[in-house]
Amino acid sequence: MAPAQAHPRTALSASEEADLVARLRDGDERAFEALVDRHYGTMLAVARGYVRTRAVAEEVVQEAWLGVLNGIDRFEARSSLKTWIMRIVVNIAMTRGEREARSIPFSAFASEKDEPAVDPDRFRDESDGFPGHWRAYPGNWAAAPDDALLSRETLGVVMSAIHELPPAQRVVITMRDVAGCSSDEVCGTLEVSEGNQRVLLHRARSHVRNALERHLDG
Amino acid sequence: MAESADHLSCQEVVELVTEYLDESLSAEDASLFEQHLNFCEGCVWYVDQLRTTVETVGEIREEQIPPEAKERLLGAFRDWRRS
Repeated sequence: MAPAQAHPRTALSASEEADLVARLRDGDERAFEALVDRHYGTMLAVARGYVRTRAVAEEVVQEAWLGVLNGIDRFEARSSLKTWIMRIVVNIAMTRGEREARSIPFSAFASEKDEPAVDPDRFRDESDGFPGHWRAYPGNWAAAPDDALLSRETLGVVMSAIHELPPAQRVVITMRDVAGCSSDEVCGTLEVSEGNQRVLLHRARSHVRNALERHLDG
Repeated sequence: MAESADHLSCQEVVELVTEYLDESLSAEDASLFEQHLNFCEGCVWYVDQLRTTVETVGEIREEQIPPEAKERLLGAFRDWRRS
């Protein structure tokens, strides 16, 4: 069956991608539909990093698909098809974001003040024997019952924690950990450096861990 | 990366976990990181918490395209094909 229908987390090989691009250029509707199914969620999440409302983000994604169709003949595979599509989303979303007076220079976020992954009070200070070491160990979640971690309630806690994040962190954690994008795909889409991408991911994951800890350890 | 050359504190370890999981630490820092885990159960649990966090975030399903939005796109596709 069509490679485009593989799970979105499975990256296409270069030859599968070339085949897909050829089918799109030929006007193969099934290839297009499979591509839409595969990337819609990630496109929406990326767009939501730049514009205020879900409705506008949906319009951005619709417009981006027209951009994909109109540009597919000029696609030269300098990046992956996925990154190329996501760049189209970002460019349209940024234009819309400016019009809404909400444009976000993503690179600016990585230089905002450094927020520690864990509350500094959780570590011993200079007056203790081992400065920088845990006062009390974090919980051993491996000992927690599986259903506590996999419950609908826990998933809700994780989703609200992601929702609270600043847009750049939210987009990065969604691309990496929900959509299964590689760090290259995130860097190519958002035009941030590898280092900035990792700082954003680190803060985002740390924030979600903190929320999970409050939920699980009560 | 480490403040002192020969060991990492727990407070330093928690800031390096993402790089560790991405396998992007330098060989030297990765070795210091692992040495720390060898004697610190608290940090072993912390790294495990971060792995669990990533797995739990991975349980979130991406949004599917609403049927009417898909119909509109397929309509646009047919127009594009005709043009």
